[in-house]
Amino acid sequence: MGFAWLNQTKRFFAASTQVLSMNQRNLEYIYPNNARSDFPIADNKLLTKKVLAKVGVSVPETYVSYSSFFEMRNMAQDLEAYDAFVIKPAQGRGGGGIVVMGSKHENGWKTLGGTFYSLADIKKHIADIIFGVYSFGLSDHAIIEAKIEQYEALNQLSPFGLTDVRMILCKHQPVLAMLRVPTKESDGKANLHQGALGVGIDIKTGSATYATHYGEAIEHHPDTQVSLQGFSLPFWQNIVQMSIKTAESVPLKYLGVDLVVSKDKPLVLEVNVRPGIEIQNANMIGMRKILKAQAARVK
Amino acid sequence: MKHRKTLFLLIFFVFMVVPLALVTYKLTVLNYKMSDLIPATSYHVEINMTVDGHGDDIEIKTYLPKSDMRQKITEETHVSNNFEFDVRSDGLNRLATWRGVAVQGKQSIRYSFDVQAQAVRFLIPDDLRVPQSYPENLNIYLQSEEGVPVYDPLINEAIDQVLPSRDLPILDMLTRIHRYLQDELKNKNFSGYTDAITAYKLGEASCNGKGRLFVAMARNLNMPARSVSGLIMRSGDKRVSHQWVEVYINGYWVPFDTINDHFAELPANFLTLYYGDKVLFHHSSNVNFKYMFSMSKKLVAKASLRENLDDSILNIANVYQAFEDVGVSQNLLKIILMIPIGALVTVIFRNVIGLETFGTFLPALIASAARDTGLLWGSIGFVLVIVLTALIRRSMDWLQLLHSPKMAILLTVVVMIILGATVVSTNLGLNQLAHLSLFPIAILAITAERFSIFEAEHGLLKAFKVTVATLVVVTAAYTVMESQFLQSMFLAFPELLFVLIALNLWLGRWIGMRVTEFFRFRKLIWKEAKS
Repeated sequence: MGFAWLNQTKRFFAASTQVLSMNQRNLEYIYPNNARSDFPIADNKLLTKKVLAKVGVSVPETYVSYSSFFEMRNMAQDLEAYDAFVIKPAQGRGGGGIVVMGSKHENGWKTLGGTFYSLADIKKHIADIIFGVYSFGLSDHAIIEAKIEQYEALNQLSPFGLTDVRMILCKHQPVLAMLRVPTKESDGKANLHQGALGVGIDIKTGSATYATHYGEAIEHHPDTQVSLQGFSLPFWQNIVQMSIKTAESVPLKYLGVDLVVSKDKPLVLEVNVRPGIEIQNANMIGMRKILKAQAARVK
Repeated sequence: MKHRKTLFLLIFFVFMVVPLALVTYKLTVLNYKMSDLIPATSYHVEINMTVDGHGDDIEIKTYLPKSDMRQKITEETHVSNNFEFDVRSDGLNRLATWRGVAVQGKQSIRYSFDVQAQAVRFLIPDDLRVPQSYPENLNIYLQSEEGVPVYDPLINEAIDQVLPSRDLPILDMLTRIHRYLQDELKNKNFSGYTDAITAYKLGEASCNGKGRLFVAMARNLNMPARSVSGLIMRSGDKRVSHQWVEVYINGYWVPFDTINDHFAELPANFLTLYYGDKVLFHHSSNVNFKYMFSMSKKLVAKASLRENLDDSILNIANVYQAFEDVGVSQNLLKIILMIPIGALVTVIFRNVIGLETFGTFLPALIASAARDTGLLWGSIGFVLVIVLTALIRRSMDWLQLLHSPKMAILLTVVVMIILGATVVSTNLGLNQLAHLSLFPIAILAITAERFSIFEAEHGLLKAFKVTVATLVVVTAAYTVMESQFLQSMFLAFPELLFVLIALNLWLGRWIGMRVTEFFRFRKLIWKEAKS
């Protein structure tokens, strides 16, 4: 027996310093790298889109946005031309308040899941967004933007919703990347805490390295049994370049960039000032290790 | 960056050291005495009695406590609608009588009072011996009485068994008798009557049997002794009264309790109700008489504290007097002072342990509100309010209301649930739940809304987990906030609040891994450890 368990424990605690903890992320990466006054650029998707469009980073097309009841008076005409669109709170978090209209019907639209929304239903939802239901009580803007058609080849991997790439960058350098794959359970949302899959992506090659569901290793999509191994993402170098360009065009030095691959090109969906730390489990790599190495290289 | 670190250390140091230095200064230079600072514990005691009348006259008698050197009885109040109430002196005791004429139906009587009692301890000189004679008025405490046959051969046998000789100093004899009754005679949880002989023969007894045997042995050895009945005061409801004995030594009645091992001492939560071997309640027969003692604890400033200190502005007692003058009680101040401690506990659970709770400070607020309901009923009330309100919020979904009016409705619902719970629980006799009204209503409404959205987005299981985590933190905060030591310290030295700020400053710069993160990333850490 001896003291084997003691040594094991020591090694465990020593190795734990390779992992970025929530407290350390906040104190050593978010606060020193991101000025509070710059948070709105990431927290407000309308602002983010404006900044990114200016420097030529592709973003989903905004059809219209509302910030007051007064602006909603012409909503019927505003939406008439569109068969499909997405309603989003500009300052929502974790995908709350996002509704995706998939098809136009008489007197309204149907979501991808088949729920019918009359014009009045949409008005109510937008009013909720404006009143801050999805943004912690602050008043907000509602964005109506183009529904993104997923890149054909990704449909087999992610048939329940739009899969997105989360790239974490520190001082304009990519740190870790993962692909978030919605499941039936996550209700089509690419949110790991709601049951989406996290697939670790090698930043050099764009190929899948590891996959998790609620932090547990998996090899196949639990709904479709499609393998989560041995594929590479299309447009990968493009995605990396767009992430870096996004990071360079906002004043934030530690951030998460969320991208989707549409029919013909990658688009940046949003920027996150408080990117989660679960990405480490999806990659099975401690982020602190990489961040330290990058900081040493800069010096 | 470097400056920030220095400045941080400086602020931390100042907030930590200055209050502690001030406390030391007050304790050493000023006249603060720790014993005075600890507020006196006061108990509010209610005797609740009910009878069912069938048209006959009803009489109920019981003994009420008296103020003496050890206990102070104040705020006596009495509520009984159909009874004539009378108190008279009955020897050493105060006998209360309620008389009702042609009583019909269920009737209740409530008598309540506040008690502030002190612990006492007597030191018996080791060489003190039993005197030859006593003043005449003590003779009755040397004689046999019902259940206490002082000169029964079995009492002599008991004495011969316990004492090596009858010619011993008082301290030695009483020590041996006390040890015998405490250690050799088994405690029996039995509320019936046991006389001294039965107690000796069986080798086991409850408090009254042990008391009678003690009295018989002491009297046999020519030491005046009597039994005392009273209550052991503790927050909550109980029906059990307690008996102990007093032996007359050198001019003092010295207490002994051979159930709870109090030798020549009595703790501060013992309330003396009456002297002598008597029954607590007398009542007319066939009236379904029921009684219950309900007690709650509260802190009051010791009078000696204010008297000992001068008029210096550092005299915190003057500050609290100022609060009291405008109607803010020390009890309320204590609750307010404990909230930052509850907040610190919550911070530790969130940032060091890593539990996810509803609302940053909700656990601390619930814990402070739960003081009046007790932890169990506070938690039940909290879950009840949140779940019911969340259900109602859910059932309003189809109405599609705008956010602010919907929140106002939820707030109203919370108020209604709290009022309803109060009414229902009062009728059911669950008095603790009636104190839910102290809950932070607006915060509960917001929490119910969050719970509802959380449940919709993350599922019932996750919402349940966070609720359990919240209750765990409530329990921890409650336990810490109820600590008498911390309450006394913060009441006496409110400058310690700065120490709390210092601790939060430190926690605010702490970058360690949360306990739950070790679990969350355990596989990753093991992989890193192997590579």
